Amino acid sequence: MSSNEQFNQISPSEFFYRNRDLAGFSNPTRSLYTAVREFVENSLDACDHSGILPNIHMTIKAVDPEKPDPKQYILTVKDNGPGIPSKHVPLAFGTVLYGSKFGLKQARGMFGLGATMAILYGQITTNKSVKVKSNADGKTRFDFEMLLDIQKNKPVIVKKQETPSSEKGLSVSICLDGDYSKAGTKIRDYVYQTSLITPYATISFDDPKGEKFHHKAIIRSMPPAPTIIAPHPYGIDVETIRRMLVDTHYQIPNVDDKMIEKVRKELGMSKKKFTYDEIMKKTEKKWKSLSRPVRVVISLMSFLEADFEKLQRIRIEDVDLRNNKLVYWDYSTSQTLVAEMDVESHYYKQLANTVQGESLTHFLSKRFQRVGPTAALEFCKFAKFKPETRVGNMTDQELVKLSDALQTYEGFRSPDPTCLAPLGDGPLEKGIERRFEPDFMAVVQRTASAYSGFPFVIEMGIAYGGKIETRGTTVYRFANRIPLLYDEGSDVVLKVVKDTDWNRYKVKNDSAPMIIVSHICSTRVPYKTVGKENVADRPEIEKELRLALQFLSRKLSGYMSKKGQAEMAKKRANLYSKYLPLVAQFCTELSGNKKEPNYKEMIKEETALTNSEGTLEEVKKNG
Amino acid sequence: MAKKQTKKETKKQTKKDKIDKSKNLISLLKKHGAQVYEDLENGEFPKFSIPNRSISNIIYDKKLRQYVLGTNTSLRSSRNSSQLRSFTQLLWLAFFANKLTHEKKSSTLRDVYYSSQAFAVDFEDQGESDNIIVDLEAVLSQPREDFYVFPEERSSIFGDLTIEYTIPGYEGKTQNLSSHPDGYAIGPSMTSAELVDTSAELVIAIEKGGLFTRFVEEQVDKKFKSIIINTGGQAPRSTRTLLKRLHDEMGLPVVILTDGDVYGEHIAMVIKSGSANAAHLKGLTVPDAKWMGVWATDIDKFKLPTIPMTESDIKRCYDLLKDPRYQEGLWKRELEVFIKIKRKAELEAFSKYGLNNITEKYLPKKLEESKSF
Repeated sequence: MSSNEQFNQISPSEFFYRNRDLAGFSNPTRSLYTAVREFVENSLDACDHSGILPNIHMTIKAVDPEKPDPKQYILTVKDNGPGIPSKHVPLAFGTVLYGSKFGLKQARGMFGLGATMAILYGQITTNKSVKVKSNADGKTRFDFEMLLDIQKNKPVIVKKQETPSSEKGLSVSICLDGDYSKAGTKIRDYVYQTSLITPYATISFDDPKGEKFHHKAIIRSMPPAPTIIAPHPYGIDVETIRRMLVDTHYQIPNVDDKMIEKVRKELGMSKKKFTYDEIMKKTEKKWKSLSRPVRVVISLMSFLEADFEKLQRIRIEDVDLRNNKLVYWDYSTSQTLVAEMDVESHYYKQLANTVQGESLTHFLSKRFQRVGPTAALEFCKFAKFKPETRVGNMTDQELVKLSDALQTYEGFRSPDPTCLAPLGDGPLEKGIERRFEPDFMAVVQRTASAYSGFPFVIEMGIAYGGKIETRGTTVYRFANRIPLLYDEGSDVVLKVVKDTDWNRYKVKNDSAPMIIVSHICSTRVPYKTVGKENVADRPEIEKELRLALQFLSRKLSGYMSKKGQAEMAKKRANLYSKYLPLVAQFCTELSGNKKEPNYKEMIKEETALTNSEGTLEEVKKNG
Repeated sequence: MAKKQTKKETKKQTKKDKIDKSKNLISLLKKHGAQVYEDLENGEFPKFSIPNRSISNIIYDKKLRQYVLGTNTSLRSSRNSSQLRSFTQLLWLAFFANKLTHEKKSSTLRDVYYSSQAFAVDFEDQGESDNIIVDLEAVLSQPREDFYVFPEERSSIFGDLTIEYTIPGYEGKTQNLSSHPDGYAIGPSMTSAELVDTSAELVIAIEKGGLFTRFVEEQVDKKFKSIIINTGGQAPRSTRTLLKRLHDEMGLPVVILTDGDVYGEHIAMVIKSGSANAAHLKGLTVPDAKWMGVWATDIDKFKLPTIPMTESDIKRCYDLLKDPRYQEGLWKRELEVFIKIKRKAELEAFSKYGLNNITEKYLPKKLEESKSF
């Protein structure tokens, strides 16, 4: 690296502008499809989290229909969601990395930056502004026209307008270079499959050729929304533990003006000047109602015998518990001073607790999901930590040891799936039934499992026959309610389906009218690429997929053999009604008789036998 | 004179036999039909008992000097849904055979296959219908020719033999089989015809059409007082029946001339003592027939040009060595020589020494020789 190389910091917008391939905006075909996905998924996420049954309308219109592809298209996605308060609109749509999705819960998009990328792409290719219409309060609709300042990562509002309106929701419209003749199939598939995995949503799509696709909601209730939860021990690293320790406030607070103001407020001594004794007296009375940081500050004051004025002049350097000394810097005299601490004082205890932090068992059971006091104790035994070890005292080496042990200990219960939002077997079943009207179907929702501390749930459905038109196994892959359409060759779901020996389940794999719907829900789906189209084969996920598929295949196998029996019985009955009359005819002529023998009863008996053996109707739907 | 007298008597006898045979067949078919009818009347599922034709049930009868079926039989029941179809096919064939026999109309294997379609009885292919025909043969213990079903392949006959047709439309009409140099096809009308008269003293069965023509051209029929028959490779059953009748009814010895290889040897053997495929049938063999050549030992003796045996030729030799009929005498000896020299010679090999070498030199020599074995 040469010494005169320039180092510039680039804005996130600029970074994404330069790396737009990563986010799926590599060419007009892919970009149009990705833009559709980002907007539709944002709308669905917004509705899900507000408990609104989504009603989403999308249109794609060519700016000049006569031109050949690729050409400019206007993409508009409108929803009935909660909308975005007008003051957030410019930032939400004009800044990269601005979003509300940074918690640990399942959502379709991770950070909400895809939509901004789409806007960015549109602006780059057509130099046209994005139009956003948002109504968050059901009273006023705000219409924005904005451009992105890529270097500064800031929105530039071109036009803003208010209109009274009672209809809540958000509508985003961009102009972008696209190739619908190539992307059309995928986009239609995407819309169709989204409606399959979101059976509570109504999704309509007007395509540039004038075709209208309308997928009406099949069910009227939404699956429960996911909650935000504490991390699981398996998914943690040293840095996260360190941050969690900071987060716990087990630190000597920074005694600045703001802090002092807080202490005054809590003691009810905001106004006047108070002596040290007065402060201590008030503290005795109010101790129980004080917050932890305030208690710590007062404890410090007690040893320093400081009033608020003195407190402003010093900075705490160290709380030395071994020597019971308090080391501080005095700004007025510019020197380091030491104050003795009285071990008997309850202020000492407060300070000691704070500096040392809580005990390891307490820390584990309070800060992590799925760790109770017993589990914490057992873990300490396993990791050879004293349960009463104070987390604040732990050295870097110990933190590394702790982090390693957390990941190798096998006694923790699997992660809490409440942060996940699987569709549920009911809605999934309904979705499949209404879209495919199969002869047989079964669905299963596996119990939650985890890979590297990220919980996940596998939902799967299988359907056979009926109005399924495709031949061979068709696999619909979903992850966090997003259809995965590209790069299916390397996907773990496909791998599991391919590995299955379908002959064992009496299914002719290459000609069977069969579909498989697979849905992976996780706080973090292990995608192989940034484009989010195929799931990597983590052993834990592969195992769950395998178990789910085996369960369903066994059910299908049961159906197939009953179907086989029914068909066989029917065939048998047909055989007798076909051949016995012939036998009768030939033997009559051969034997020289005039009248045919009375064989009709025999056919009746055979057919009756068949019916009692069970028909197809009875074995239908045993899922 | 005395000889002629015997011939006439035999003729009468056979004519009567034939009518009886036909009557017997019809009544046998009727009996089976009646049984099926009765079963149905009683609400029972009718069935056929068919002699088992699997290898394990084929045994060599030393006394009869041919393969026969053992006592194993298998049941084909209409109760069994997987047999119902073939049961119906078999019954239909019995019905169809009855019709043919009654009306004296002949049919071929292929014709049977196509006729079935008119009766809503479906055969998947001709192979399936051919199998059912063999089934019926086994049930009735009668060859299909008796119920007027003939094979497609035709072999031919030439020589001074007068026959009298019995098929409808030609009854009483006679024909001498030396009037047409291409020979006469051995079809249903020939097989069913009465053998009236012959001046021949010998029947020469020859494997190949080419040599058959040559023999006619060389007037072998006159020179050797013989009837010449082209078997066209492995002799079809109608030809074997005719050979048997020429031997039994006309008292003519039969000699066989084949290629000098293991297949030729076996063609001769089948005429003599039947094939495993037809183990369920009797009356197709000519036990006194003689294989005249070309023997393996002839190859050296007559200095015939040869070609090497193929792998499958050699394998066939070893297979036949296990056959009980090849355990002694000429048959065993020649087979072993073939294995030893691993070479074979065609009948045409004689042309090396001139086109008429085979008729001028080889044939007289072998005929003379054949009197002694």
